[in-house]
Amino acid sequence: MTIRLLALVLTVLLTAATGAAAPAQPQSGGAAVVALGGDPETLNLGITTGYAVGAVAASIYSGLVWIDARGDFQPDLATAWTVSPDQLTYTFTLRQNVKWHDGRPFGAADVKYTMDEITGKHHGRFRTAYANFESVSVRSPTQVVIRLRRPYAPLLRLLTVFDSPILARHLYEGQDPTRSPRNNEPVGTGPFKFREWARGDRVVLERNPDYWNPVYLDRLIFRIIPNAALRVTALEVGEVDQVMDFYLPKTDVDRLRRNPAIRIRLGQPIPSMGFLFINTRRAPLDNVKVRQALAMAINRVQIVTQAMGNLARPARGPFGDGFRWAFSPEADYNRLYPLSVERANALLDEAGVLRGAGGERPVRLRLVYDSARAPLVAAAAIIRDNLRAVGITVELQPMDRAVMIERVYTRADYEITLQTFTSGGDPAIGYHRIYASAPPGTPFVNATGYSNAEVDRLLQQAAEVADQTARSRLYAEVGKILARDVPTLVLFDEIGVDAARTSLRGVWTGAEARDRWDAVWIQK
Amino acid sequence: MASGGLTLRRYAAGRLLQAAPLLLGVVVVNFLLIALAPGDPVATLLGEYPAPPEYVARLRQEFGLDQPIPVRLALYVWNVARGNLGFSFAYRLPVAQLVVERLVNTFLLMATALTLAAALGVGLGVAAARRPGSGLDAASTGVSLAGYSIPDFWLAQLLVLLFAVALGWLPAQGIRSVREEYTGLAAALDVGRHLILPALALSFRYMALIARLTRASMLEAMSQDFILAARARGLPERLVLVQHGLRNAALPVVTVIGYNFAFVLAGSALVETVFGWPGVGRLLYDAILQRDTPVLLGILLMVSATVVVVNLLVDLLYAVLDPRVRY
Repeated sequence: MTIRLLALVLTVLLTAATGAAAPAQPQSGGAAVVALGGDPETLNLGITTGYAVGAVAASIYSGLVWIDARGDFQPDLATAWTVSPDQLTYTFTLRQNVKWHDGRPFGAADVKYTMDEITGKHHGRFRTAYANFESVSVRSPTQVVIRLRRPYAPLLRLLTVFDSPILARHLYEGQDPTRSPRNNEPVGTGPFKFREWARGDRVVLERNPDYWNPVYLDRLIFRIIPNAALRVTALEVGEVDQVMDFYLPKTDVDRLRRNPAIRIRLGQPIPSMGFLFINTRRAPLDNVKVRQALAMAINRVQIVTQAMGNLARPARGPFGDGFRWAFSPEADYNRLYPLSVERANALLDEAGVLRGAGGERPVRLRLVYDSARAPLVAAAAIIRDNLRAVGITVELQPMDRAVMIERVYTRADYEITLQTFTSGGDPAIGYHRIYASAPPGTPFVNATGYSNAEVDRLLQQAAEVADQTARSRLYAEVGKILARDVPTLVLFDEIGVDAARTSLRGVWTGAEARDRWDAVWIQK
Repeated sequence: MASGGLTLRRYAAGRLLQAAPLLLGVVVVNFLLIALAPGDPVATLLGEYPAPPEYVARLRQEFGLDQPIPVRLALYVWNVARGNLGFSFAYRLPVAQLVVERLVNTFLLMATALTLAAALGVGLGVAAARRPGSGLDAASTGVSLAGYSIPDFWLAQLLVLLFAVALGWLPAQGIRSVREEYTGLAAALDVGRHLILPALALSFRYMALIARLTRASMLEAMSQDFILAARARGLPERLVLVQHGLRNAALPVVTVIGYNFAFVLAGSALVETVFGWPGVGRLLYDAILQRDTPVLLGILLMVSATVVVVNLLVDLLYAVLDPRVRY
């Protein structure tokens, strides 16, 4: 009897387990609601890198390729592509029978027009790739050829919907693309069609029945919730289904983790880092020993635990450790700059920045940062305390973003500043501009005044070489120089966090939480 | 009567004419403050990736930022005089279109909050004045003290936690439901449901203010001889209270409502942010961050004009409430 009972219980348990493990079938219908912190400025993703614009418009438009959660390229409007052995010619075969949302056919001419007239001129990231273009030519209605003047390793990365969304030539031709009425009522080829935009409140998209993949949701709604804490509240009470990393206050992540109705994705395939830029034009920061002393005095682990809520890794080098292939043990901060007040003091003494009678050194550093970013505010206080221990006075200068840009980049009127940069998927896209020589005055380009011909040469090569092993060697070499010279001290590699309700299925198949909403469905 | 109406119209026209130099002052001072403040609209607009210098120069020219400040100011004043508030740098849309659609939502919130504040405040004030020193009076004082002391954005968050999160009675965010699609009366009721919490949060402080003021004015009015006379004539107490007491006590209350209109408008920015209410407050905040000068100036001008008009309406209302007031 006992055995039979045991067998029965086991059978029930096994059946339940098998049932739970069986992959659920996607169900059609319903509306998913995604929180945004503010209105998109436009819905033309071809003229901006704005995050909110990308969140909405990535589902309206398509790129030539998309990047999956493993970081691999997948076909989007291009079903196949080949690269010539000299890395100068990329030939794309386009998907057939694709229609714009207004019913007109999509073709190769749209791709050429978009790159030549819209994204190549107006898109902040794609412009950097387009600068290497010789030509974009239409070989047939379903074939486009991009010819480059010089090889450009991250080219494919810049052909996603976020970097070069393909726009309809018949709607934009002859107009200023920054002022087209289509920017507010977009027409794309993506899985969702535009339906309504009530500024300050919502953007509503609806299923595109002509999309080449099945689309499960009837509607995809973006709700504007300016208050960060209440975005999380809205997720918890079910008013919204997803809050993406960019809009998720990190202080709430622990609470969300304990909520069984919420699913969390930790880590992001597109690395981002937090930096302390050091103005190398100003004494005594023009002395490399002083900069190295800062690297030893600043507690990166404390910043990660206290300012970043452990949603970051203490930085390991000038390119972080987000790109494993670009990380070099020779540039490892843990080896070069372990936390050491004694060694920092010794370096400062060697540099001639000696302590006065009161124990303080004659150095006063203005630390400039964006006051709206809570983790940077906390990190600034930690850095002030860390540097006080080696006799350096830090004056905190929080300011709003527009003023910060002017102070740091336009006028270079600072000693140290906290900044965060995203790699854009490749160090050549997002990080080179931090280290390469450049005249002052351009926002988000070399704020430190650091200039090293060897670094410039190596970075240029690293952008042009396609072979990963060769690139690794180049980054190891340039990493070594940058780690030695410390024009910037990388503080942390960010760990992104996306949160969604568990009823939302099929999420995060793309590298970006903003991408691939065609695969998402609602468990009823 | 006809001549009285004519005089009133002339008075109103005169007041509006006087407002013209005031509004010009608002435009000039705001323009100069914004133009001289640090922060470059083009750099803010371009985002985090570098743009070629010629592209930056083209944008500067397009936005008119390549001109000296006095020329920009003169152009702006000339355009405003012709009813053109300009084009938003960030949204690339006419400012009037952007501001008006948001101002409507803000006015809906403000009108509801002020009506609520006036109704509850006057009711509480009259009830308290009727029996000074009673339990009701003490309770009214307590509520007023709380109203003065609690910041509206904090109250707003508490209301969300209680009514939206804990009880689930009311929505936490926005102006309309997003999952359901209502039309007609159902849509209006849906907006009404979304309006309750933000209007409560915004009205609480003013309700307290109006309650205190009504109580004091009522106590003063009720001690006047004409109240004694009314009672001596045998009028029912309710009539004495409302027709004689409240009507005389109403003048300072109306003044306070009119005077506080601008403050309610300012307070609505915070409440709008908490509730994701798509009003002008949030647009103003974003415009400041983005250095979207035309939007910023457009909002400030339209809000100033509204305050001028509301103050005029309040002055005109005096004549309705108090026959002794003549224009």
